[in-house]
Amino acid sequence: MEEPIIRIKDVHKHFGTVHALRGISLNINRGEVVVIIGPSGSGKSTLLRCINRLEEYNTGEILVDGISLDSAENINTVRREVGMVFQSFNLFPHLTAIDNLMLAQRIVRKRPEAESEEIAHDLLAKVGISEKVDVYPAQLSGGQKQRVAIARALAMNPKIMLFDEPTSALDPEMITEVLNVMMTLAKEGMTMVVVSHEMGFARAAANRIIFIDEGKIIEETTPEDMFASSDNERTRLFLSKVLNL
Amino acid sequence: MNKQPKTGFSRGKILGSLNFKWRQGTDPWWALVALVVLLLVALITTRSDPFLNILLFVRDGIWITIFITISAFVLTLVVGLIGALGRLSRNPVIYAISTLYVELIRGIPLLVQLIWWYFAFPVVLQGIGRWLDIASLADYRANAVFTAIIGLVVCYGAYMAEIYRAGIQSISRGQMEAARSLGMTYAQAMRHVILPQAMRVVLPPVCNEFIALLKDSSLVSVVAVADLTRRGREFMSVHFNPIEVWTMIALIYLIMTLLSGRLATWIEKKYRLEK
Repeated sequence: MEEPIIRIKDVHKHFGTVHALRGISLNINRGEVVVIIGPSGSGKSTLLRCINRLEEYNTGEILVDGISLDSAENINTVRREVGMVFQSFNLFPHLTAIDNLMLAQRIVRKRPEAESEEIAHDLLAKVGISEKVDVYPAQLSGGQKQRVAIARALAMNPKIMLFDEPTSALDPEMITEVLNVMMTLAKEGMTMVVVSHEMGFARAAANRIIFIDEGKIIEETTPEDMFASSDNERTRLFLSKVLNL
Repeated sequence: MNKQPKTGFSRGKILGSLNFKWRQGTDPWWALVALVVLLLVALITTRSDPFLNILLFVRDGIWITIFITISAFVLTLVVGLIGALGRLSRNPVIYAISTLYVELIRGIPLLVQLIWWYFAFPVVLQGIGRWLDIASLADYRANAVFTAIIGLVVCYGAYMAEIYRAGIQSISRGQMEAARSLGMTYAQAMRHVILPQAMRVVLPPVCNEFIALLKDSSLVSVVAVADLTRRGREFMSVHFNPIEVWTMIALIYLIMTLLSGRLATWIEKKYRLEK
């Protein structure tokens, strides 16, 4: 069997006295789309941020594409291969959309100007905002910002994409345009780890759904099984809340 | 968001048609400059003795003041940036050194610091020179302009470091996280993402520091620098006309600070980030 692209082994994380992650172990395979759900404060975002070491963990081990996140050098190597999309977009406000996409290509990937510009143009077209190439983030809507942010991450040719509640800060009518882009990525075979409560997306795109509560994986299942009949009382309770059933 | 038009409206009610001009950015600044320049010209033409004589006498002092202010300011920008990065460093030694620097310097009056650099610093250097047997150090003589610039830079660098630090910390953590998650190193993220934004934030206080530095540069007159203030004192000690001399000196400083203030506003507008 093929080696998983992300291996998480018994990871613990403390924030002061709070035990945020209590022994998480999880393997994610190449091309897999994994959606992580759970109540707020359950540790799902923390887990995601541990994968590219934006958050340090106290014990345990995480291997991304065979590289352990233990030295500054390794962490930078992993970050080059792992794209991250944030709830609050975090576009660089002093740069135009295209410069947002080109900056890291030039200084991290050392790509020539012309090449990075071409890649940036292609990606902005792919996420459907080729007419806003030279616009500053402040002039974009939330949905457009998030699509530029996705394109910015893709410009680095990542092997894995992490999404940290990518639609939670968006107005309802803008959620679809972002989910459509994510759906396309999933179909193209991108390895994706998505923290989200978008059950429609989970049902349509996820290979697996992980339910986390109080820093532990409570349930790991396929979307079909989870929506049909979860055996777990807590999962059922949570689902009934997010689905407004 | 709604505040701006509201105040404009109430001011409009009170000031009537004046309001229109104010909102266009025509503030009373030009009137003030015109007044000061007119006063100066009137004084010089109607009573060239002593006013023109004063101006001619202190002219080289004006250049010294400008030279000291600008060179000290440029160096302050560099020292302040290093100090700020030190204050933000996770390395406890670097953090401790930069914090000590800032706290130490901010607790001592600038005048005392300038005097220390002029009178004590050369003696320290000479002592070190004799101890290490370096002839050029042992014979060190203080260059007044040089020690004055050091004194101003060391002092203003500490304040500037705190301004920069606040500016860098005002940039949301997500910016650093986004940059790092794209594979940038800390230094790359600082240089390409954080600092360009922080610079815009600190521009107004940094410009204020320039004007403060321009005014505080008059203190160097105490440590043997022939700046504008010292030249004024020299003229007065010969001619004994304090009212004319110090009015003239005050007006010259005023013109310089008003012009710098205007330049600052212009720069701030040019680099303002769209919200």
